[in-house]
Amino acid sequence: MSRVLILVPFAIDAAGVERRAEQQREVSLRNDVTYEYRTVRAGPTSFVSPHDWLLLDLAILDAGLGAQAEGFDAVVIDTVSDSGADALRSMLDIPVIAPGRASLIFSLTLGRRFGVLAQWEPALARYEKVLDDWGLRDRCAGLEHFDTPPDFDTLLDGKEGAIIPRMEAACRRLVARGADVICLGSTTMHQAHSHLASVLDVPVVNPGPLSYKLVETLLALGLTHSRSAYPLPQQPKPAMVTAMFDAAAEHERADAPGGNDV
Amino acid sequence: MTEADGSDPVRILVLAPFPLNDEQLALRAAQLEAAPLPERVVVDFKPTKAAPANYVSHHDYVLADISMLESGLSAEADGYDAVCIDTVSDSAVSALRSMLDIPVIGPGRTQYAVASMLGRQFGIVTMWRQWFPIYSRVLNEIGLADRCAGIRSIDVAPDNRTLMAGKDHAFPLLIEASKALIEDGADVICLGSTTMHEAHRHLQDHLPVPVINPGPLSYFIAEALVALGLTHSRRSFPRSLAPKPDMIAAMLDAANSAETAATHPAETSS
Repeated sequence: MSRVLILVPFAIDAAGVERRAEQQREVSLRNDVTYEYRTVRAGPTSFVSPHDWLLLDLAILDAGLGAQAEGFDAVVIDTVSDSGADALRSMLDIPVIAPGRASLIFSLTLGRRFGVLAQWEPALARYEKVLDDWGLRDRCAGLEHFDTPPDFDTLLDGKEGAIIPRMEAACRRLVARGADVICLGSTTMHQAHSHLASVLDVPVVNPGPLSYKLVETLLALGLTHSRSAYPLPQQPKPAMVTAMFDAAAEHERADAPGGNDV
Repeated sequence: MTEADGSDPVRILVLAPFPLNDEQLALRAAQLEAAPLPERVVVDFKPTKAAPANYVSHHDYVLADISMLESGLSAEADGYDAVCIDTVSDSAVSALRSMLDIPVIGPGRTQYAVASMLGRQFGIVTMWRQWFPIYSRVLNEIGLADRCAGIRSIDVAPDNRTLMAGKDHAFPLLIEASKALIEDGADVICLGSTTMHEAHRHLQDHLPVPVINPGPLSYFIAEALVALGLTHSRRSFPRSLAPKPDMIAAMLDAANSAETAATHPAETSS
């Protein structure tokens, strides 16, 4: 039996976690792998600027740092931003799945060009960065958004009728721009996946469920990230990271959660 | 949803790229022993009716493409849920995708994609340099050529029927070539042929970076695609306006007869 830790990038309550966990029921999974969810202890409230990105990198690092020692066999980051994935890989030997890069690269095995569905205009900068970081710009047909501020907690609940048609229209714009495959730009879009997949004539990659199938594959084949690409620090400072997030969580305790992720 | 909830079986057809006898096919099916697939997965191996002698020229590539196309053409009608190609050349992947709606998995493109998720750059270690062009073809097609730190050969002529049998001397050479690739910047090693699966465990045990076994990886990805309801994009692999499956079948029957006549002239001349 393998245990997988899924790191949720916002400090949401149990109901919010359950809405993310619905992704597990959208795909047939092995029954010898179990999944547990853990939210970050503190972090950014929006997700539109380098300030936010950096805080989330650290928040995910803090949340996953102990995963291997706790007996987990793999970690999945529940955000297409792949926040914290590189830092965690440099500290852990177990596989750390980054659904953003995984879905974009994987889409290249299914079609010539991918398009990315983004939530709203402020989210675009992050995808631009990913395309540059990963050298994938010439295989990207475009980015399109559906101009809707995200709700990282309730996702689409109760708003499906208003939002899904806008998502579909943005996907059709991507297809018109030459996308042969659509990548959903956020794991939080999973509630719209089955509708989009049924009405579009191109494959639609659902990054969360894809990441679960990849984690099964890596575990079965005994694969993990390369240590030469993600070297260990010469002087790890896990206690310092933990102390920073003890302080961050304390600072945030009085504040109501709110914000939006990619 | 889990397997325990009674998921339907997943039937995968693996296309071996040569006409092989049962014993030779079993050497390829031994790839299944690398890692246990979910219980619901059923894998069958199928040889081609004819083939090029090996994969070293464009003459060979087109013969490989047509023979693998014929071999996989009926897979969907035969009830399979996915097709895997048992060669890193990804022969016939594009042609089969244009004819089938079920996923068609090329282990070449799949391992380069997965390697790109595990490290910055990957290297390809292979048996002989005559295979180099099959790697660049696929790398260029999927746009990951600049992720490849290098390709190195041990210059040991492969045998596509008996695989690594009698080639124990190749193992240290493969280690040496892989270490040179790592020196050149490879964070992950990809095997240049599914037939090298017999060397995978040895390489993984003796190298400090992940080593991808492309055949077994392709079976897991096939199951994943079926589970996710994903397949190739029809826009990238459009259908023929006039498919000619019967003509293709006749061509390969003729190719098979021609090969038989060449191998056993006395039997066919009487």
